[in-house]
Amino acid sequence: MIQLYHVSKEYGRFRHALTEVTCKIERGEFVFLTGPSGAGKTTFLKLLFREEAPTTGQIVVNGRNIWVLPSARVPFFRRTIGVVFQDFRLIARKTVFENIAFVQNVLGLPRAEQRRRAYQVLKRVGLHHQMNAYPHDLSGGEQQRVAIARAIVNEPALLLADEPTGNLDPVLSEEIMRLFADINIRGTTVIVATHDLDLIRRMGKRVLTLERGRLREGAPPAPLIREAPFLPRG
Amino acid sequence: MVNVRYVFGEAWSIARSGARQTAMAVALVALGLYVPGLLVLLSRNLGRLASAGGEPPAAVVTLESSADSKEAGERIARDSRVARVRIISGAEALERFRRAYPDLGAVLADLKEAPFPPTLEIFIKPGVPPAAAAEIAEAVRKQPGVETAESEEGFDKRFREAIRLLRGAGLFLGALLTLAAMLSVASAIRLALDLHRDEIEIMRLMGATEGAVRAPFLLYGAFEGFSGGAIALGLLAATYAVATRLLVRHPHPVLSIFWTSFLDWPSAAALPLMGTAAGFIGSVLSLGRKART
Repeated sequence: MIQLYHVSKEYGRFRHALTEVTCKIERGEFVFLTGPSGAGKTTFLKLLFREEAPTTGQIVVNGRNIWVLPSARVPFFRRTIGVVFQDFRLIARKTVFENIAFVQNVLGLPRAEQRRRAYQVLKRVGLHHQMNAYPHDLSGGEQQRVAIARAIVNEPALLLADEPTGNLDPVLSEEIMRLFADINIRGTTVIVATHDLDLIRRMGKRVLTLERGRLREGAPPAPLIREAPFLPRG
Repeated sequence: MVNVRYVFGEAWSIARSGARQTAMAVALVALGLYVPGLLVLLSRNLGRLASAGGEPPAAVVTLESSADSKEAGERIARDSRVARVRIISGAEALERFRRAYPDLGAVLADLKEAPFPPTLEIFIKPGVPPAAAAEIAEAVRKQPGVETAESEEGFDKRFREAIRLLRGAGLFLGALLTLAAMLSVASAIRLALDLHRDEIEIMRLMGATEGAVRAPFLLYGAFEGFSGGAIALGLLAATYAVATRLLVRHPHPVLSIFWTSFLDWPSAAALPLMGTAAGFIGSVLSLGRKART
C-alpha cells in the first residue's frame, strides 16, 4: 500500500524534518505514528498526501510513485485519501453538510445522494443533528468530528489523521478511535499521528516512532513524549 | 468534468461574500461601457443622416414656394458640367424625413402644410473638379425663384469627417474603458481570491481540480462583466428615452439629429456581450497570476 524509500525532507539548509525514512505499510493496516512535537509526524503525512515534496527519496502509494504523478492527476489521487487535519480545515462559509459533500458536489452527485451519505457519516460521528450548522457554531471537538466525517465520506482506501483526538475528551477520543478501527476493519488503511501513548497502548496496533526526523518501529519510551513539549511543532 | 450547478453555486457564493467589491466592479464596468455606447449611439444617428439620401449632391438649391421647380431644374441642367438635377418637393422632403427619423416624424404629423420648401439637388458629371459645385451654386443663386444655392461638397466632407471622428472617439474610449473595466474585474477577482485563499487550499487538498477551483471565479468575473454591460445598456436606453421625451416637448433642429433612433439589437446586445468578455478576460488575467499562490 505505502512504501517510503530513503525519504528525506529539509526545510532550508539547516532544518531536517525527516532523514532517510524507509518503511512499508501494508494494505488494511492500522498504524500509529508517534513521537515528540517537531519530530516530523505532520511532514510524514503531508508527503503521503502530496501536499509537500520530499527533498530526496521515493514514495509509492497504491503501487504508484506519487512524485512522478502528473499535477493534473493529483486531485484524483487525493480523492482516494481521507485526511483529518490537526486544525480541521473546514470551510467557514459552508455548512457541515456542504463541507462534507464538497467533493461529491464538485463531481455532480445528486443532491439527495450527497445528503444521504453526509447523514450516514455524521451519524457515525454523532453529529447528524448538526447538518445545517456552520463550523463556527460548533465546539472544537464537534469540528474535529466533522473533519473526520468529511475524511471518511468517500470511503477512502487510505485515511490519514493528524492528532485527531487532540481537541477531544478521553471518552470522545475513545469513540473516535473505535470509529477509526471500524473504518479499518472495512479495509481502509489507517495512519494516525498522535501524542497519546495511553491511547496507542489501549488500541494495540502497529506503532512507528519518529524522533528528530528518524523513523523506527515500535512505541517510544514514555519520557520521550513527555519531555518534548518545548520543541517546535512538526 | 466540473458540475455546472456547483460552479454556479460557488460563483454566487463568491459574489455574496464580497458584495461591496462586486458592486464596485459592476458599476465600473457599467460606466466603462456606457460612455462608448453613448458615442456609438450618437454617431449612428448622425451617420443615418449622411447615408439617408444615397449619393450626396454637389449643390442644393432651395426655391421660393411660388417658383416652378421643373423649369428651374431644366435651366440648371443646361450647364454642361451638370449630370442631373433631382427635384424634391416639400411633401417628398417630409416623407424622406419621416423615413430617416421615424421617431421624430410624429412631431410633424400635426402640421397642415409641408414644412420643407421645394429643393433641387444638383449632381455633377464624373471628372468635373469639385470646385465646379461652388461655381454652379454661384451662378444658380442669380436665377429667378431661387432662395438659396449652396455647394455641398465642403459640408458633406466636413460632415462625414465629423462622423468619422465621433466613431473614432467612441472606439478609442471604448477600448480604453473596456480595458479599465477588465482591470476592475481583475482587481475584484484578486480581492475575492485573497478572501478565499484558505478555502482554495482546502478545496485542493480535498481533491478539487484546477478547473473546479477556477471555474467559479471565471463565472463570477463573467457575471460581473455581463451585469455591468446590462446596466450600461439600461442606462443608455434610459438616456435615450429621456432625451427623446425632452425633444418632443422642446424640439431642437440640431439635437434632434442625435436622438432619432436607438441602437439596433445586435449593437445593443454587444454591450452585455462585451461586458461578459471583459469580465472573463479580467478574471483569466487575475487567476493566471494569483490562483496558484
